[in-house]
Amino acid sequence: MQRRDRGIAQSLGLPLTKRVKESRVLLVGAGGIGCEVLKNLVCSGFGSLPQYYGGEIASEISDMRRPEIVVVDMDTIDLSNLNRQFLFRKQHIKKYKALVAKETASQFNPSVNIDAQSGNIFDDKYDVAFFEGFDLVFNALDNLAARRHVNKMCLAADVPLIESGTTGFNGQVQAIKKGVTECYDCNPKPAQKSFPICTIRSTPSQPIHCIVWAKSYLFPELFGTSEEDSADVTVTEVDNVEEVAKLRIEAEALKTIRGLMGKSEFAQAVFDKVFRDDIERLRGMEEMWLSRRKPEVLCFEQFAPSMDKSEDVVERGRALAMKDQAIWSLAENLAVFSSAVDALSNRTLASPGTPLEFDKDDKDTLDFVASAANLRSHVFGIPLNSEWEIKQMAGNIIPAIATSNALTASLSVLEAFKIMRGASFEQKGVSKLTISHVAPTHNYMVTNGKEGFMLGGSKMVFLNSRSTERMITTQNLVPPQPDCAVCSPVYAKLRIPSNSSATLQDLVTLLQEKLGYEDFSIQADVGIIYDPDLEDNLEKGMIPAGYIKAGNGFLTVVDEGDEGRVDLVLSTSFTPNTTEADPESGLQLMPEEISLPSKHKSVAESNGQAMTTTEATGDASKVAAHFNAKRKRDAEEEVVGAKKRAKADEEVMVVEDDGAILLDD
Amino acid sequence: MADFASGLLNPTNSTVVNSDQNLESMAMGNARTVPENGTSTTTAPGLSPDEIALYDRQIRLWGAQAQERIRSANILLISLRALGTEIAKNLTLAGISSLTIIDDEPVSEEDLGAQYFLRDEDIGEPRAEAAIPRIQELNPRVLVKSGGTLSNLLAQDQTYYTPYQCIIACDHDFNTLSTINTITHLAARPFYAASIHGFYGFIFADLVSHDFILEREKSNVATSPGSETLTRSILSVTNKKENNGKTTEIVKKREIYCPLILANSSPLSPDILGSRRKLKTVPALLPCLRALFDFQRTYSRLPDTHTSTDLAIFTTLATTKSRELQLPLESLKAEFLRSFMQNLGAEIVPTAAFVGGRLSEDVINVLGGKEQPLQNFAIFDGENFDGRIYSLYSTPPELVDFGNSVNGEMLHANVNAVAAAPANGLGLSMGGSNGTAGGGGMTGVTSAPANGAEVVELE
Repeated sequence: MQRRDRGIAQSLGLPLTKRVKESRVLLVGAGGIGCEVLKNLVCSGFGSLPQYYGGEIASEISDMRRPEIVVVDMDTIDLSNLNRQFLFRKQHIKKYKALVAKETASQFNPSVNIDAQSGNIFDDKYDVAFFEGFDLVFNALDNLAARRHVNKMCLAADVPLIESGTTGFNGQVQAIKKGVTECYDCNPKPAQKSFPICTIRSTPSQPIHCIVWAKSYLFPELFGTSEEDSADVTVTEVDNVEEVAKLRIEAEALKTIRGLMGKSEFAQAVFDKVFRDDIERLRGMEEMWLSRRKPEVLCFEQFAPSMDKSEDVVERGRALAMKDQAIWSLAENLAVFSSAVDALSNRTLASPGTPLEFDKDDKDTLDFVASAANLRSHVFGIPLNSEWEIKQMAGNIIPAIATSNALTASLSVLEAFKIMRGASFEQKGVSKLTISHVAPTHNYMVTNGKEGFMLGGSKMVFLNSRSTERMITTQNLVPPQPDCAVCSPVYAKLRIPSNSSATLQDLVTLLQEKLGYEDFSIQADVGIIYDPDLEDNLEKGMIPAGYIKAGNGFLTVVDEGDEGRVDLVLSTSFTPNTTEADPESGLQLMPEEISLPSKHKSVAESNGQAMTTTEATGDASKVAAHFNAKRKRDAEEEVVGAKKRAKADEEVMVVEDDGAILLDD
Repeated sequence: MADFASGLLNPTNSTVVNSDQNLESMAMGNARTVPENGTSTTTAPGLSPDEIALYDRQIRLWGAQAQERIRSANILLISLRALGTEIAKNLTLAGISSLTIIDDEPVSEEDLGAQYFLRDEDIGEPRAEAAIPRIQELNPRVLVKSGGTLSNLLAQDQTYYTPYQCIIACDHDFNTLSTINTITHLAARPFYAASIHGFYGFIFADLVSHDFILEREKSNVATSPGSETLTRSILSVTNKKENNGKTTEIVKKREIYCPLILANSSPLSPDILGSRRKLKTVPALLPCLRALFDFQRTYSRLPDTHTSTDLAIFTTLATTKSRELQLPLESLKAEFLRSFMQNLGAEIVPTAAFVGGRLSEDVINVLGGKEQPLQNFAIFDGENFDGRIYSLYSTPPELVDFGNSVNGEMLHANVNAVAAAPANGLGLSMGGSNGTAGGGGMTGVTSAPANGAEVVELE
């Protein structure tokens, strides 16, 4: 033990300190929370080989077992990161976050091993086997899709996950373990904001309605791929059917005007179409304005005296666009609109094949959306906003500060201590090989759900910045939701040689023979590929048909029989050769023994806790006693927990870190 | 409260390290940049486009005006161990005007584990000097500099503290913290004290008298000016109509504070004392921290877990403190006591990050004049995920004659009057007011608790 380890050794005790040092952990995301988590991990000694083990380590331990912190992040550094992502400096802008984070954080502890990867966590190489190589995974992400993906990968790999998120002064941390706790998807997440189409296209009443109109309707119609159904605008039952039909015709007319792009009258044509003609049509619908203020028609010509030549307007607009804190006047908005249309037209004509997309950091697109939204706001008597404010609404920028990230990340790592202290599992990362140590993929069978460690008293923790009594609120971890589509299935593996000619029929036969399936369906990424009435695909090759892909593919097997066993999710992966496999198809299920309890039973039995485990090994009665003890405790704490939960739910809503685009997903 | 004009003055008595770079960054930090075309902008006249771009994500949370106030703030940070490291990082990132750090202790090998601005080659160097260049790298707009030695600081009177908008003292013993606090209170400057011990930590705040704004959606229940708690009153309420049709309520409140020495002997708030249920939830960490303060005052060191005499003394102290706080007997468990003592003196980064992060957040909000500040003693237990805030308040002597008036203006005037008065004219029996550390006057005996509980003799 080095003297620099004194603090951690004194607080954690030697056994946990050793376990921390020998651990192999994955950090997904090196942004606001990620930088802070990495600092905490490095300074606490995670993945740092103890010096006293000397030279015998390196050669004997495979890469998958080396004590290490692996950091994965695909982003590059931006100026607006520097107020909180303290591992980055101005000279690092545009460099990969993962690489710079490693470079800076490595200096905090010379014995730490960091493997920085500037990749996308959705990439094929981050497959289930990759996740299985870790003792613990930390999520430090800024978007729902990646959070859900890592959640699923950790369930499939049966690795504990510490999920975290912040927004403004709020933050939260949640520990997740397959079969023990709720997973990230056990509770429905708030649906993305969506507005009725008529509110956006005909009767806006708030600035956001005009911004969505400019960003999701006008912009793509003129410069992008015209999309009838943008995710943030939907036809709902409150929408008038006739009106919706007229809006379609209106959009068609705009496409015609698109043909004028590049000509000097283009900006005026667009302007008069959307702020004059379309508004005049709306004004004609008297019943629409019985309880609303009638929109005001704008006409390009009425601004003619204030601008002499179109060239000047473009120049003026460019200068104005620099002042994004100011609220532009009507004429100023028109000037910015003209210059943005000019710039975007030039870009579209320069590369006709590539439609433009709105990006809050692409100034031309932001100028266009801000000015068009403001002009429309004026038309409907809605207050105008500065471009800076519009950027936040259009780009879904979530306020982010250093302290919330630091607080949340500190809780993540404190959770990690809890989990590791409570864990009676065999560690993946090791500094020294012993006879009992085997490859991590085999470890799966030994540890999968067997001990089901209770995460050492880990809790769901929320920052509570506005309270005068508490800095944090906690909530006991609760067992998985029995009907959660993501974590209630049994996870297993399906391996296939990369040159296999196995067909869907081969898989069906395998499932029938090995697992006794009768009525069942199989769902691949492409949709349902097999069910009792769908036999068209049986002769197709699993690989050529794309049912099995390298990397992150999953097949879900649903038992349609009366008994209704829980779903089986197979993570698929390629093996290089066919040894030990079924000689016919090469398809191989892992583990050998898969137990599929009935859905019914699992709900009644343990609230969804133990049913996902393999029963290949282990003392069933011991496991049952373990869970019973926990259930009793849970019952006692239920009342308090329920109260806290209700409160916590009110306080923390969307948990996204950096500029996540919810609307665009 | 704090006069922000004085924030533009540079604190005196301080040694500027690597002056060239810092003078330049100071100029950047304090410049009232006018947009190049000469027209001023509407929402943030003082912030340059570069600053707005850099601080974008936080300005979107607290607004340009708060950012400007943060930018003009000079902060004094005393002690740069694990906790100070986190605070220095957070405040420098936030974009204050200057950070003056006082820590002249030599870097030891043990420091390297949790104080991540230090490297092997710094061993033996004064902590602040060694770390400052690396803190400076976080944000060249902030002037980060050394404030000299602790002994020099302790010899200063209140005029030394006046240029600072906030003073933060970490990881020192009770006497040192209290000595500094006594003078900051006289100077009417916001003061924070904090320490960590392994998984445990605390934050104390004495903001003297602090006005702040809360913005919230108007509820059906009317908010009206008046006293809310012993320390907090609502000064005014105004309504603002939003674009989306809702009404935002802008509530101006004031919190008044007492110094650490008084807080340390103050009872829990009446609403906790009046409820057995609430008393039962008070963590044993609170009496343990008070016991630690007393132990330090008596022995000028930390208790040693390995000697039975220390264990016995500390257990007695903790029991006494628990009784003094009127906590139920069963709340102080041997298991916790052992864990607490085991953690004494240890530094781990996650705890430092939480305590330092929460303290920094409070400082930033106080500078910005927004959000509810800590009142006045927060305790953190990273082993059990517990973080509570207790108001441990007794009316400071300078306010006693005027009673607990809810008239905020009157309190405010009093505080200012006190700030202007000479240090020896106050009748505060605090040992440190002459500027020497560890004044003997208060060693051994705790101040009489305001609620009339027994006074405990230690020696």
